[in-house]
Amino acid sequence: MSKNIVEMHQITKAFPGVLALDSVDFNCMQGEVHALVGENGAGKSTLMKILAGAYRPDSGRIILRGNDIAFHSPREAQRHGISIIYQEFNLIPDLSVAENIFLGREPQKRMGFIDNTSLSEKAQSLLEDLGVAIDLGMRVSELGVAQQQMIEIAKALSLNADIIMMDEPSAVVSGKELESLFRIIRTLKANKKAIIYISHRIDEIFQIADRATVLKDGKLVGTVQTSDVDKPKVVSMMVGRSLSETFPQRKKLKQKQEVLALKNVSREGFLKDISFNVHKGEILGIAGLVGAGRSELARAIFGADPIDMGEIILKEKIIKKSSPKNSIVSGIGFVTENRAHDGLIHSLSLRKNLTLAILERVKKWFYIRDRYEKEISKQSVDQFKIITPSIEQEVRYLSGGNQQKVILAKWININLSLLILDEPTRGIDVGTKSEVYTLMRRLADQGTAIIMISSELPEIIGMSDRILVMHDGEIMGVVSPDKATEEGILMMATGQKRTINKAEG
Amino acid sequence: MRIGLLKRHSAVFIVYVILAILILTTGLLSDVFLTFRNLENLLRQVAPLGFVSVGQTFAILTAGIDLSIGSVVSMTSVLTTGMIEGQQQLVLPVLVLVFGLAILIGFINGTIISKTGVHPLIVTLGMMSVVQGGILLYTKAPTGSVPISYDFVAWGNVWKIPFPILLFASVATIAIIFLRLTVFGRYVYATGGNEEVARLSGIKTGRVKTIVYMICSFTAALTGIMLASRMGMGDPLVGERYMLDSIIPVLIGGTRLTGGVGGVAGTIGGIFIFIILSNALNLLDVTAYWQWIVEGLVVIVSVSLYFRQKR
Repeated sequence: MSKNIVEMHQITKAFPGVLALDSVDFNCMQGEVHALVGENGAGKSTLMKILAGAYRPDSGRIILRGNDIAFHSPREAQRHGISIIYQEFNLIPDLSVAENIFLGREPQKRMGFIDNTSLSEKAQSLLEDLGVAIDLGMRVSELGVAQQQMIEIAKALSLNADIIMMDEPSAVVSGKELESLFRIIRTLKANKKAIIYISHRIDEIFQIADRATVLKDGKLVGTVQTSDVDKPKVVSMMVGRSLSETFPQRKKLKQKQEVLALKNVSREGFLKDISFNVHKGEILGIAGLVGAGRSELARAIFGADPIDMGEIILKEKIIKKSSPKNSIVSGIGFVTENRAHDGLIHSLSLRKNLTLAILERVKKWFYIRDRYEKEISKQSVDQFKIITPSIEQEVRYLSGGNQQKVILAKWININLSLLILDEPTRGIDVGTKSEVYTLMRRLADQGTAIIMISSELPEIIGMSDRILVMHDGEIMGVVSPDKATEEGILMMATGQKRTINKAEG
Repeated sequence: MRIGLLKRHSAVFIVYVILAILILTTGLLSDVFLTFRNLENLLRQVAPLGFVSVGQTFAILTAGIDLSIGSVVSMTSVLTTGMIEGQQQLVLPVLVLVFGLAILIGFINGTIISKTGVHPLIVTLGMMSVVQGGILLYTKAPTGSVPISYDFVAWGNVWKIPFPILLFASVATIAIIFLRLTVFGRYVYATGGNEEVARLSGIKTGRVKTIVYMICSFTAALTGIMLASRMGMGDPLVGERYMLDSIIPVLIGGTRLTGGVGGVAGTIGGIFIFIILSNALNLLDVTAYWQWIVEGLVVIVSVSLYFRQKR
């Protein structure tokens, strides 16, 4: 095989309180797709940021095309042909596709005017090389996420990058879009580019990567040829144990006691005639594609959005004035989909986030009972194994998995009878995922009703007691997990099949 | 732990370091600065600016701002003197009326902001114009007078402590307790930190914001009455400078314009820096225009220091 274009030797990097990387070796060859895998906090991003010039290592060597090198800035790394595509894109929404690709490097005419003809031509040829058809004049804000990702890739190529790193590219695209991303990656590979693909989705790694390097707790576990190993092997390398049984055992429901029922609930443009119910101790999975109205349904139940028609009945009482406050008082918790945006208040400490929804209980007159609040927080930290130096830590310093645990703890602290979870395991690592699953099942066994929205079909099938499938704001049917197949659910989710109109069990 | 403590209170820490340096240098440069008379004079000046800055801290903590503060100051000043006209028996009823009107203005501000979602900058700027226009319809020149007893507000002493200082100390203490220890205070930080999360946690963020603008107007009324007492009459333009002056100590004090971070402790430091700076420049015979330049630079330098800290 061809030789390494980049080699990283014995890279060590410490942040205050953590050893993020401990003598890690990594290399990548021309024309290779090299996956970098590991749980959150394993050090993947740190390693890549070092290669991209965003961080400097405490010790270790980087050898690029045979020469020792040390980058002092991301710009310097870029000049050496290294580009990184972060999950959060660096695009300017109100500029056009072509303008974004050449931002800061626009071809110029005399007097500093932008040479638009040459700009379009150059952008056009880049996109053609990638086999992507996007109108160059479109503003980026008009494009979907997948297309924006393509533009980021084109931008990297315009910098003559021959090492392209992608940080969790599949976190933002799925299905067909992911297929076209893979197609582009294969094109890049054929053009002798080195691609470093960061992900914790094992399936993808086997689809696209030639080799995989596994990190755990800042240490190198090993580098393997993907053709030599199987999925369970990689998973066990990642978590350091084998996850033979990902989903906890279901228990048979003894009696059906209705907690929540919806009758003909509609909201113009989002929800059409929704009727279903959830029982005590049951996990109801809601499947469907993005835009099927699942999150809108959750928000309607919680009182975050209004409904136009229909009835929401909680514990046999019709909810008249629905608002988040009333929902919380009646014991409904809501873990939102977008953790970064509306899950936690990042400027507040762990303690203050944990008690935000239960201050009514923590207060005495109008004072917050400081000692009681600390007690509750410490209990939650212990119970949920939240890794943090102190309860006074601002939550923005916690890792994604730990943030998710804080959110769960916050809701479980209210007197919970119904918990709505919107994509509870998105973006968290395998280990934390299984902790979340265990926790959900334990809650259900203790009598909480759970509504779980998820786009991951194995999770839907593995966790739910009943599965409700939505398409275009409507319920397409209800399936039982022992009869459900991924194909069957997809048929319903894409609107090709409908089983029933009413969904009461 | 020590580093952690420092980090959490870093902005407040920097404010008081700057303040200490300021006091030391001014003391060295001017013989008059550390005299009892100058200090007492200085402390009396703290109160009018202090009230509005404390109010403004609340608004900025919720990621808002109140630009109508200045016009409410003017309004309370001319209305009290204009209606009392030196009559002792009218003092109490007029004060009640004026405070009520000020708080009503805050309520309207807050309600429009929370119901329509229009940015507070626009709503309160509009309100400023409405109120200022109303004042100028009422009177175009300084007007009215107050009875002798009313002088007490600005010039009186309690246990040899100037009353304005005592009143400001109480208001500031109550504000700090409110923000640090009460549920309402927590709601203010939560609303400013992330309004959607706060709402989904069952906090009535609209109500929180409404109360915050009522607090702003209330503090503006305190300032207005203090100024009316100090001058013995009401001036329809006396509050103008407070629209921006009320914001400066808040920013020097480390409260972030984006909301959710900061507090009254920092603002108090900011007020003293602001007041001492202009006092010092006065004592050193620096012209008012230079004072503007220096004050502007202090704001820019201090706020950039906090941003550096953050990274």
